[in-house]
Amino acid sequence: MQPGLNESSPEPMTTTQTVNSQTQGSTSHHLTLGHNISTPGPDLPTQEFKQGTKENVSNVTSVEYEVLLPGVSGNTMEKNITLDRATGIELSCRLDNKYSHLKSLQVTWKKGNETIRYINKTESSWSIQLRILDNSMLGSYSCTLKGKEEIGAMFHLQVPKIEGREKPIVSYEGDTAVMMCKSFGYTPIAWTWYKTNGSEQIAINDSLLADKYVINRISANVTHLKILKLTKEDDGVYWCEAAFELGKSKGKLKLKVLSLMVPLKPFLAIVAEVVILVTIVFLYEMYSKKKEKCAEDEKEFDQIEQLKSEESNGLENSSARHRKTS
Amino acid sequence: SPAMSRAPGPPDGGWGWVVVFGAFISIGFAYAFPKGIAIFFKEIQDFFGTSYSEIAWVSSIMLATTYGAGPISSILVNRYGSRPVVIFGGLLCGIGMVSAAFCTSILQLYICAGFITGFGLALNLQPSVIIIGKYFLKRRPIANGLAMAGSPVMLCTLAPLNQFLFDNFGWRGSFLILGAILLNCCVAGALFRPIGASTASVKTQVTEEGKGALKEEVTKDAVEMSSPMDVPIETKMQEEGGKDCCEKINQYLDFSLFKHRGFLIYLIGNVLMFLGFFAPIVFLAPYAKHIGIDEYSAAFLLSILAIVDMIARPTTGIIANSKWVRPRIQYFFSFSIAFNGACHLLCPLASGYMGLVIYSIFFGLAFGMVCAMLFETLMDLVGAARFTSAVGLVTIAECCTILLGPPIGGTLIDTFGDYKYMFIKCGAVMVLAGTFLFIMNYYNYRVLAKEEKERKAKEEDPKSVRTANEGRNNWNKETIQDGPELEPLREEQEGLKKEVNGT
Repeated sequence: MQPGLNESSPEPMTTTQTVNSQTQGSTSHHLTLGHNISTPGPDLPTQEFKQGTKENVSNVTSVEYEVLLPGVSGNTMEKNITLDRATGIELSCRLDNKYSHLKSLQVTWKKGNETIRYINKTESSWSIQLRILDNSMLGSYSCTLKGKEEIGAMFHLQVPKIEGREKPIVSYEGDTAVMMCKSFGYTPIAWTWYKTNGSEQIAINDSLLADKYVINRISANVTHLKILKLTKEDDGVYWCEAAFELGKSKGKLKLKVLSLMVPLKPFLAIVAEVVILVTIVFLYEMYSKKKEKCAEDEKEFDQIEQLKSEESNGLENSSARHRKTS
Repeated sequence: SPAMSRAPGPPDGGWGWVVVFGAFISIGFAYAFPKGIAIFFKEIQDFFGTSYSEIAWVSSIMLATTYGAGPISSILVNRYGSRPVVIFGGLLCGIGMVSAAFCTSILQLYICAGFITGFGLALNLQPSVIIIGKYFLKRRPIANGLAMAGSPVMLCTLAPLNQFLFDNFGWRGSFLILGAILLNCCVAGALFRPIGASTASVKTQVTEEGKGALKEEVTKDAVEMSSPMDVPIETKMQEEGGKDCCEKINQYLDFSLFKHRGFLIYLIGNVLMFLGFFAPIVFLAPYAKHIGIDEYSAAFLLSILAIVDMIARPTTGIIANSKWVRPRIQYFFSFSIAFNGACHLLCPLASGYMGLVIYSIFFGLAFGMVCAMLFETLMDLVGAARFTSAVGLVTIAECCTILLGPPIGGTLIDTFGDYKYMFIKCGAVMVLAGTFLFIMNYYNYRVLAKEEKERKAKEEDPKSVRTANEGRNNWNKETIQDGPELEPLREEQEGLKKEVNGT
């Protein structure tokens, strides 16, 4: 039985209402996430939580998500749930024990602006059960507890996100570029690549242009697009799209195609700098050697003069002096 | 005859500082470049469709070639001197990286970026270290410390530069530009002015004497500078004394070093040490991520390490140069290795980010200390003249353990699922190496002191005065006050030879 989406104004739910469980024979794993999410604030890191068991014939997994509501009003807790295939899901909002004294609580579950009718109620938690079978059932579901203050939580049901690359991939004309997209944790049914042409996105058909594009599915979660013989026209934005049972998800990549002249300029500049520096070093060395040589020539001249005057003393004396210095 | 000029010793300054700057650049590139190009690996891996380990081989091949080509580097320096070798090395690096920019397969990348560039870096590293020994003696530890500081400085510069190049030019353009940047090693090489005139006359006679290796290196030490003119003198020796095959090989690569006690001690200790030297750096960031630290803070740990390293190296050089430490520099070196090991052993106790920050600081300090003295201690043991061959033989031996260290650490991590065994292994190996070096050098110092006493006794004999010198390790006397004259005079040469032949 599908939960009905009531278009009328929200009906006040009394705390004593109970509704029968609707999913047939599902064994749900109860996840208490209370200790994880007790910090209030909308800027929660998105936790992708998935746990379920495959069971009944219709091949639908079933998961349960629960949020523990803090007592602070005005803050809405948010939870991101990633679903890639048809799932039976139970969303519940539980009130912390310390607030069980609060009477007269109205609980409302909504999807967007539409109220969901059938709510399970236990001692201190309210939950709804949904069967997500197609894209239209994804979205944001909220539970609101109206008492003296309004406490709420929001569940965002989404398809898995695909990461592209923020920084552009730089490649050169005539070269090959390889672009990669990865899906984390979830296996897509199919991958498609698009190129942005102006404002349109054109699908890349690798069988049609086999000598230009090669699409490889490297592993279940990874896809490669190889573009051969790059030209300036290949420069731009590319999209990789993963198709899941419940919808599609895109990742963005940028390709920059440069000509060989671009790195050549800094290259030549540095080579020129090296040549200039080496030349300067060698010139300086020759210059200082010349200076030394001039100085030495002068010295030798002086020494010869000196020795001429010493010759009267004989060679022996100088030799003896030399011996002493060794 | 013209007056004798006293043999000038190593300048210990002046142009020497310019040489230190050149060595700074050269050594910086040699050590930092293999690590720096890791930034490009992810992109190249996607491009060629290979696994990460296949790409990482590029770095390993580069490092292996840089260390493994050490002996070739030594031979070339023995023959041609440092300057031509470094300039040729710089050209080779440039050619390697430029050709890597046009590679179309991973194998070509191994050859161009791995092998050719690695070989060029080898021709940069060894000559730079060698020429410091030729220009400095009294201030050599400082010079070594400053030159070795090039490695962390270059790494800190290359990492953001590579990222910038990659974002703007892709990996091919970056390799092209990096090739040009590596050509700056040629500039560094141009600064390596050859020093020293022919000193071979005395050297020839001593080798003819056939005295023990000790004496030989003592005189070679006193000579302090090997020059390109060794070759004609050696051939002259062959005319006189007949061909000796070993001598001929030894002129290119001094294998007689394997009989040298100090050299063997250094070799064994260092080969052991390198088993645990690099692994902790490789695994520091993954370890940090493993215990829950985010990627940027983990990368910041390495930056802290590099900055502390940068400061530690020149500081260690200054400390090692002081008159208390220099005579016992081997002990200081052993201590720093053991200190490094102790840091690793204590790392598993570090909890949380602050613990790792403290570990990074101490690790950076210890790493810098060891690196600053790595070549200084070898020079101290074998003397500057034989250092050329020594450094080549040491680097090729270290090559194996350097390459084995990180993979062994990785295997330990994978087997036990815990990083602490890797740290314990590295720490234990280094403490062991440090202790070994300490004990063996204590023994070595004592034996040297004994030999010096014996030599002093011989000093009564005036004939030995000319060729005898004070002990190598007594660096005070190592200055060339007692050295032989450098200017070869025909008469003096003949006279000395006759006397020596007479003993």
